[in-house]
Amino acid sequence: MSFRTKLLAAMMLVVSALTSLGLYLSQRTVAAGAERDSQQNFQAELSWLHKIQELRHAELAERCRALVAKPRIHAALEDNALDLLYPSAKDELRDLMEGNEPSPEQEAGTLDAKFYRFLDGTGAVLSPLNPKDVGNLSGSAEGQLTFKNLPEMQQIGYLSESGDVGGETVDEVMVVPIFSTETGDVISALVVGFQPFELARQRVGAGIKSGIWLNGRLYLPALSKSAQAYLGGEITNAVTKSDRTQSNFAVSVNGAPYLLFYGRLNPDSLFPPAYEICIYPLADLMARLHRLRWQIGGAGALLLLGGFVASNFVAGRLSAPVEKLAEDSETNRAQRKRAEAALASTSEELERSARYSADASHQLKTPVTILRAGLEALLTREDFNPEVYHELSVLLHQTHRLTGVIDDLLLLSRIDAGHLQIESEPINLSQIVEEWLDDLGELPDSLDVKIEKKFPAELYVAGEKRYISLIVQNLLENSRKYNRPGGRIRVAGHRNTDKIVLNIGNTGCPITGDEQEHIFERFHRGSSGTAVSGNGLGLNLARELARLHGGDLRLVGSDDDWTEFEVCFRVAQQPPSRAAEIV
Amino acid sequence: MDLRGIVSFNAIFALLPILAFAQASVEGRVELAKSHSAPVMEKRYKIVSIGGVLATQPPLAVVYLDGSFPKPKSPSMKQIVQKDLAFLPSLLAVQVGTRVEFPSLDDVYHNIFSYSPAKRFDLGRYRPEERPIPSEVFDVPGLVVLRCDIHEHMRGLLLVLDTPYFIRTDEEGRFRLSGLPSGHYTLKAWIDSKTTREKPVDLKRGATLHVDFP
Repeated sequence: MSFRTKLLAAMMLVVSALTSLGLYLSQRTVAAGAERDSQQNFQAELSWLHKIQELRHAELAERCRALVAKPRIHAALEDNALDLLYPSAKDELRDLMEGNEPSPEQEAGTLDAKFYRFLDGTGAVLSPLNPKDVGNLSGSAEGQLTFKNLPEMQQIGYLSESGDVGGETVDEVMVVPIFSTETGDVISALVVGFQPFELARQRVGAGIKSGIWLNGRLYLPALSKSAQAYLGGEITNAVTKSDRTQSNFAVSVNGAPYLLFYGRLNPDSLFPPAYEICIYPLADLMARLHRLRWQIGGAGALLLLGGFVASNFVAGRLSAPVEKLAEDSETNRAQRKRAEAALASTSEELERSARYSADASHQLKTPVTILRAGLEALLTREDFNPEVYHELSVLLHQTHRLTGVIDDLLLLSRIDAGHLQIESEPINLSQIVEEWLDDLGELPDSLDVKIEKKFPAELYVAGEKRYISLIVQNLLENSRKYNRPGGRIRVAGHRNTDKIVLNIGNTGCPITGDEQEHIFERFHRGSSGTAVSGNGLGLNLARELARLHGGDLRLVGSDDDWTEFEVCFRVAQQPPSRAAEIV
Repeated sequence: MDLRGIVSFNAIFALLPILAFAQASVEGRVELAKSHSAPVMEKRYKIVSIGGVLATQPPLAVVYLDGSFPKPKSPSMKQIVQKDLAFLPSLLAVQVGTRVEFPSLDDVYHNIFSYSPAKRFDLGRYRPEERPIPSEVFDVPGLVVLRCDIHEHMRGLLLVLDTPYFIRTDEEGRFRLSGLPSGHYTLKAWIDSKTTREKPVDLKRGATLHVDFP
């Protein structure tokens, strides 16, 4: 699986998780919000309804009180003129009854009365002379109006009545006591009947339908008869079980969910309890929620799609450098392997060649030793003629040269194989130079070379004494070998900041520009070389050893009659005497 | 009006000797309910209702001789004015057949009416400048409660009596009826809408009878 695929999968997982979380949360929030909105809507509707009703009742009560205060009505009741009661009331209540003929443009819930009646002092209905003037009222409804005792407080009541259009209906009645101006007693009561607001008001927004529950029956014209009967039973249960004056519960009418609210309409009334019933369809809310869910789902799908596309894109962008990196590292690895292989083979080759060189040196040394021993034995004999002795001594000298070459080769091969370990210690370079100069001076020589010395008595370098000594020996021997008769050798040493520098110069035939490039190569001999003894390994060995000691050897210059080499070494950290003191 | 006054004045003077010597008189005192209100400075009485009984406050009574007397040849005329949203006088006794005028001295509408069995009438709304002055003839004896349709607190009492001999007592209940015919009669004292006391009297020519209603 590629990095890109993995990244894409991870991002999609994250996007999916986030999207579903977001969907869940938003769905929950939206659902709660919608429900809350509906509830608030419903409550607002209800409180509006109640406020209107309160206002209406207050207005009705005020009008009724004003009516019963009319002098004519009092006169009729108090001055024993009951026959004049209804005729007087007809005039006084005319404005109240004006809406008796309902006109279509009249707003539902107006203050127009449907009927009115007076009760006599015993609580019985005073029959009107002409019922048409005071509104028709069935006998059964009239029976519901009768009181045992006249109420002293205004009462709101509800009467069930069989309406003229067939179905039964409910009238809202307001009973206002009439107090005698003479005795202060309740002498009568005015009963005014209205169409209940709950039944008249059927065009409320938000789908609220209202009705009235009375004596176990529900009157809610917006519902079918069977639904009314069913809900009536439900409400009867709720009302009888709980003594709360208002509550709500969920009902299902014809399969549609509704929230039903009921509240006592006429608390503390002498009339049988009536309840206001409001049903609020939840189907709309459900549908809205359903729609919202779909919308959220759709939005989520889009979001998910967008997220996937984006993660694909981002994964592509992000993984490109990583993939390139992987590719590059693959290439690098291959290259490294190749290099390693090359290195290994080189190292093997080197090892082999070094081993070869070492083996060769050992294999060579043995016959040379035997040869020399043979030659030395021959020289001890006295029966040869003098030419033979001369020849033998020359041969012996050649064996010595051969031994030198073999030693040098052995050393070089060890250096090449990296087997040469330097055991570094402070070495007084000045002392070594002095010793070699002494040896040089004692050589039987016809050259008559003058030696100039310019170095302090102590120049401590870090290194192994025999190799330092070998370097100095090679350089000094060269300065003598390549000198001219009557020439000079100059040896100067000094200490730099971190180096000990030794300059060895000599007079004599200079090294030409072409040759200068090759003097440090193995087995190189200067042009004048054939006349001078040497194996062509000295400078190479000296340089290799100097470099092994952390220093270097170079040709400073060679012109006219002067050739000068410079060798430098690392400064020893501390002279041996002080080291001993510390130890 | 003036002419009529002079005529009656003359008539009284002409009858005076006869009344003084040939006719009987009744005087006495009617026990009135104790008045709790402050002494009346102006002669203003208001109709109060206590326990469904209408009476004047402070209390007044009307004493009259009950009997069968000839009707007056010419109907007399009385007035009850409306002043400061009240009837003045608040209690008036008239003989049957009397026409009572209800002039208004207030600068507002009044609508005097009564639903009393003795007289149902309704003068309708009128203003002080209404002419002729709204009036009504009361030809059935009985108590007529006067009301105003506009001012529900206004009450007046009109006692229609089938006798020419009647008098309103003073605040202490004292009364004096003179010029009465001799014979056996019943003297009645109307005290409130529910209370009328009566005593049989034997009136003698030229004598003054003393009758107290306890």
